[in-house]
Amino acid sequence: MSEKITRRRLNITPYLLLLPSMIYLLLFFAYPMVQAFQLALSKNVDILNLRAEPNFQSAVTGSLALQTVASVLERERSEEILPNGARRTIFWFKVEATDLNGERVQGWVSQRNVFIENRSTSTTLRINSGEIGVRQFTLEFVQRMINDSRFLPALGTTILLAVLILPIQFTLAIIIGLVLQSQIRGSSLFLYIYAIPLGVSDLTAGIVWFAVFTQQGFLNSALVSAGWLERPFIFLQVSNMGWMIAAIVIAEVWRATSLVMVIVVAGLQAIPRDYLEAGEVFGATVWQRLTRIVLPLLKPSLQVALILRTILAFQVFAVVVALTGGDVLTVLGNETFRWYDPGRFNNPNVAAAYAGFILLISLAISFFYLRAVRGQEEALKHA
Amino acid sequence: MKRFRLVLAAALMTALVLSGAGVTAQSEVTFLSTQFNIVEEAAKARAIFERFEGKVNFVPSEEGPMIDLLRAEGQAGRGANDVVGALHGTFPTLAANDLLLDMTDLLEEISGSVDVNESLVALGRLGTEDFQYYIPWMQATYTMAANVEALQYLPEGAELNSLTYEQLAAWGKNMQEALGRPGLAFPVRGLWNRFMQGYAFPSWTGGMVTGFRTPEAVQMLTFFRDELWQYVNPESINYDSMGARLLSGEAMVTWDHVARLKPAFDAEPEKFVAFPAPAGPAGRGYMPVVVGVGIPATAPNPQGAEAFIKFLLTPATQGAIMRELGFYPVVSGVDTSDLPAGVAKQFEAVQAQGLAEDAIPSLLPVGLGGRGGEINEIYRNAFSRVVFDGEDPQTVLNDLGKALQALLNETGAACWAPDPVSDGPCQLK
Repeated sequence: MSEKITRRRLNITPYLLLLPSMIYLLLFFAYPMVQAFQLALSKNVDILNLRAEPNFQSAVTGSLALQTVASVLERERSEEILPNGARRTIFWFKVEATDLNGERVQGWVSQRNVFIENRSTSTTLRINSGEIGVRQFTLEFVQRMINDSRFLPALGTTILLAVLILPIQFTLAIIIGLVLQSQIRGSSLFLYIYAIPLGVSDLTAGIVWFAVFTQQGFLNSALVSAGWLERPFIFLQVSNMGWMIAAIVIAEVWRATSLVMVIVVAGLQAIPRDYLEAGEVFGATVWQRLTRIVLPLLKPSLQVALILRTILAFQVFAVVVALTGGDVLTVLGNETFRWYDPGRFNNPNVAAAYAGFILLISLAISFFYLRAVRGQEEALKHA
Repeated sequence: MKRFRLVLAAALMTALVLSGAGVTAQSEVTFLSTQFNIVEEAAKARAIFERFEGKVNFVPSEEGPMIDLLRAEGQAGRGANDVVGALHGTFPTLAANDLLLDMTDLLEEISGSVDVNESLVALGRLGTEDFQYYIPWMQATYTMAANVEALQYLPEGAELNSLTYEQLAAWGKNMQEALGRPGLAFPVRGLWNRFMQGYAFPSWTGGMVTGFRTPEAVQMLTFFRDELWQYVNPESINYDSMGARLLSGEAMVTWDHVARLKPAFDAEPEKFVAFPAPAGPAGRGYMPVVVGVGIPATAPNPQGAEAFIKFLLTPATQGAIMRELGFYPVVSGVDTSDLPAGVAKQFEAVQAQGLAEDAIPSLLPVGLGGRGGEINEIYRNAFSRVVFDGEDPQTVLNDLGKALQALLNETGAACWAPDPVSDGPCQLK
């Protein structure tokens, strides 16, 4: 009996250890994620309740949808003294209009919920705010996202960038990793140098490369002063889509290859030297050792890096905006921001639809990669 | 996400309270403003506000957090901010939430000592007749600017102060041929939506909204695509503020907000000229920008707020703001005799633009509430889909016209100047 209890107590410990990270994940990932989907898939249908008497406490006699134009039957003017001593006039209007069910309703509304041209003389007013009515499921925002003229170009560019960037990054990262692993003199110094971009934010990276590619940037200055160009060539322009894509690819490769490299180096270090030595003993060439021993053993690390990088590729944003302005060449991340930004669309609902869409793509890709890994492992077991 | 912004606003509020703003003495006034929120500008503004008899706590903010903060204060029933300063377009949102005091009486008092620009005062009523939501504080606009070296390429017969868009294209062509590179440059990444709304559309269609999908609008976009854009620096897609581009020489002739052009005129006033926007077939569309001040209903010190607003509207303060910060007076009687060279040049252009016979003042969108950003995107998209993506202008305008009409219907926004007054939501032709 006592033994059982002890065992139970012992069993709590791992959960206690997991608890902080669980709370963290729930609070900062699960909760916002649920909220985001709610924003994307539902909307508040606001209504304004009409009152029997000109005050907010009296009985509700009906309700009107926002933007309804109502005729004013009566008005009442009163004054309130605010806590700060300022006086404020309050108008209540008795109105009549047709409600959502097509019935004529009458009742009092406060000036704070309506737009009225002249509070003392106007005979009609428009309802412009109200209480939060019901939360309704809607595909309106998702439809707006899909029907937006920039949705498909954004999706296309994002995929194109991922397809162009990932192979280059992985090839480079493996080569760098192998060079570092070969223990040539100063290789650890190189590791630090290659890892520098890890510490650079993507916006910074975008601005740095913009400074390289812009009309009066480093590249043009160098080419002109070397006499290869007569006058600066404008790389980043609409008729040069290829160059704009290339600039983004170069910036992204520079910025994010180190992330893959760090994972690859860790993977390489985990490969026991015995295997390589055994290969050498049996006369395998460098190429054979690479393709038959190193790469297969590196696969798990590469898959982790692949998942990470693909997900990040769908979030690409700052580099694109810094290099191309974000209007003529757009990506999913930029569209999300454009819809969210209070100075632009100011529509968090459609922005949430984009965010949800990116999340779904990322989930699908991770799922696909993980299944692919498992499939291979099964195959290995059976072999 | 709205909730996240609310949290931010709450944090800002706590910071204000902690900084002592919440427990102010009656003489201290807290001024929350979306203008001058760049560090150097804020420092200049604070220096000007020091001349006020009481103590001013100047809190620059972004528009979004400001609206959320004031909403939170309204819900709590008490606040820390006495005066809000913001663009005209911010006020409809504050008004729709019933966050502001009526300033009719204060305005009357101020009008006793200075003449406040009547048309701007009317804007401050936000379409109502008897509720003054804000009092105009300062104004600005967008003008053209050029490097003096570009003037030699002006086409024959062209006058800077009465330029047409045709002549602008010819000017661009001359520069391209003489310099071997485009001399025109525009802030496509910056305030280009304002150019479309206040300059391009009104200059061809005579209005901003009603003529959105008319043949004249098609003509306008076709002109930009076929006749002008080939002489425009293709890096314009990356240009935001044009002052720096003038100084660097990337732009020989450009258009931007006066405050964004100001750095060039401050640094080398003799090297640049400012002039009014060109005219199109329908006239010379231009957009005045109005900044107003209002008093939140939750202001802890409304008397102090009124005193401070009176101070802001004195000719002396208005003159100081023009000199230091590049926004123009809204009251008469400001001494403009002793302006720095650059400021004077810009001021002349602004006046010439407003006084031009064919001028079509085109106001910022009114009555769209929190959805004011959408109209900006619609105008940006119209330009970029036709000029950059090569889509058919009429198709694009029909497509976006539908979105624009839906926006107007859903917000119930009536037409605003220069479009003719409408009964109910503004209708596109």
